[in-house]
Amino acid sequence: MTALDETHSTPAPTLGRAVRRSTLIRAVSVLVVLAALAAAPYVVSVTVILTLEEIAAFAVFAVAANLLIGQAGLISFGQGVFFGLGAYTVTLGWEHAHWSFWLGFALAPVLGAVAAVPIGLVALRARTLYFALITLAFSELFYQLVEQNTDFTGGANGVFAPVVPAWMENPVNGYLTLLGIAVAALAVLRWIYASNFGLLLRASRENRARIQALGTSVYRLHLLAFVVSGAFCALAGAMLVIYNQGSNAELFDWTTSGQAVIASVIGGMYTFIGPVAGTFVYQFGHDNLVRYVPDWQLVLGAVLLLVVLVRPDGLVGALRLSGRRGGATRGVELDSATEGSGATGE
Amino acid sequence: MDTFVTETVSILTNAAILFIVSAGLTLVFGALRLINMAHGSLFMIGALLAASLASALGGAWGFCVAVLVAAVAVAALGTGVEVVVLRRLHQREPLAQLLATFAFVLVFADLAQRVWGSSDRSVTAPVAGRLHLAGATVPEYNLVVIGIAGLVALGLWLLLARTATGWRVRAAVEDPESLAAGGTNLPLLRTSVFALGAGLAGLAGAAIAPLESIGPGLDTQIIVAAFIVTVAGGLGSVLGAALGALVIATVESLGTLWVPAYASSAPYLVMILVLAVRPWGLFGVPER
Repeated sequence: MTALDETHSTPAPTLGRAVRRSTLIRAVSVLVVLAALAAAPYVVSVTVILTLEEIAAFAVFAVAANLLIGQAGLISFGQGVFFGLGAYTVTLGWEHAHWSFWLGFALAPVLGAVAAVPIGLVALRARTLYFALITLAFSELFYQLVEQNTDFTGGANGVFAPVVPAWMENPVNGYLTLLGIAVAALAVLRWIYASNFGLLLRASRENRARIQALGTSVYRLHLLAFVVSGAFCALAGAMLVIYNQGSNAELFDWTTSGQAVIASVIGGMYTFIGPVAGTFVYQFGHDNLVRYVPDWQLVLGAVLLLVVLVRPDGLVGALRLSGRRGGATRGVELDSATEGSGATGE
Repeated sequence: MDTFVTETVSILTNAAILFIVSAGLTLVFGALRLINMAHGSLFMIGALLAASLASALGGAWGFCVAVLVAAVAVAALGTGVEVVVLRRLHQREPLAQLLATFAFVLVFADLAQRVWGSSDRSVTAPVAGRLHLAGATVPEYNLVVIGIAGLVALGLWLLLARTATGWRVRAAVEDPESLAAGGTNLPLLRTSVFALGAGLAGLAGAAIAPLESIGPGLDTQIIVAAFIVTVAGGLGSVLGAALGALVIATVESLGTLWVPAYASSAPYLVMILVLAVRPWGLFGVPER
């Protein structure tokens, strides 16, 4: 894993060594974190393992959703559609078509991508807030359809059955499998974020008209992003089945989609790692705070408000700036551009 | 004939509530260019406030006082939210504003639960009579709600089309720069419109209190419906909100009669179809 932003910003030659050293530091720290995550299930309690299982799935979900939200600037409140589709592909395939778990798991992202084409074709015609609300409508449409068609989908109760292979019901095995899948999926997503395609998406967020004028069809570009995001959101949904041992209709709800938005924004939506960090904070906060603080939503709302008001670039942005005063090249273009767009207006 | 009348009154009642809520949402969008996700929370707080006050005061007049106090209190709450938070975000991108209001959805949901608990409450209508209308019996209170919506529509039309303030509100949608150059205090105008929008949410919430059981979850339920109405009608258009409210209430009601299994999904389908043809809604303006 190489650093994401080095590929785009053009560091001055004198900074080359500093950048190379920071790449090395990052590679080592990524390895350390991965080793710690792999060793974690042998150290921590089962409750924490289960939270980590949840995080593996939701981190992929948030990073996939953030490809639209933070990178392309498309505020989607509808990625829950694909998250739910992924989960239900596994469970309904098992129930109605007697697919094995892994067959459903492999087909989930394919179905997510296929479903994203017509939804994206319609939703992307709408801009900014209209886009946010039409994706929210798709989320609710699917939620209602799944909840009402009780015969096929199990309705509000969802589908809970021994879908997952027996060996994975052990939390350690389940977690390690999820960790492996999450690392692989995140590696691919990271490559996508760092690719020219990812760069174009960020450029379209900053200046749509200019990208259009340069000869790229922004509509088609965003449709491709929508399809890629849909595929990975569906994969994340299929991953969640391992944690959940089933699927329930709420996965489609706009509040599930909103969770990806919150995680991305709290963590830092202009970076790759931000949504992952945000997911850690969100899920640990959710699982632990709930036990001590009954008003968990109040805390979450306050944190969200604080981030929006004080640090629009999220936790990762806050950490990055404090750790990189002077000589920093990484992300400067993005950060300054974002602050710049905030200062324009009347 | 009698089922037709009953059905029409029930549709109009739902449309009336939807219109009052959506008119507030769409006015706020027009003047502030933001979608207030916490609009449903203000609606819920209005309903809960009215329910508490009405049962404390008692009687038909007690209910009227409760409705007015709830609307004014929610308008004041909205003013606070606008002045303390949203005003700071005015220059920022749409996502920041959307998320700030989303944060208030979470905060208000928990605060309301703190204050009013998690059980549902009900309110007795100030007028419990039933009216005989073309062979059908209609609850009088439903007609009151329809009347309130009519008054709101008339009031908004008078305000927007007949007063200088209304002219400024419309101008703030079209060309805020020139308006500011002409000496209009834009921040004050925005705060006033936000307060009006919040007040309408509170009023609608108070008006619905005798019709439904009031409790947690009311906020997300109504906000999604209001989104459908305002977006299909066109953000910023009060006329669009009125038409949208009628269409959505009709679709919901006929859906329940004819295809009960799909009734709850029908409004979303209508909104998606409208936006597929006109991505800026029926009476909206394409964004620049």
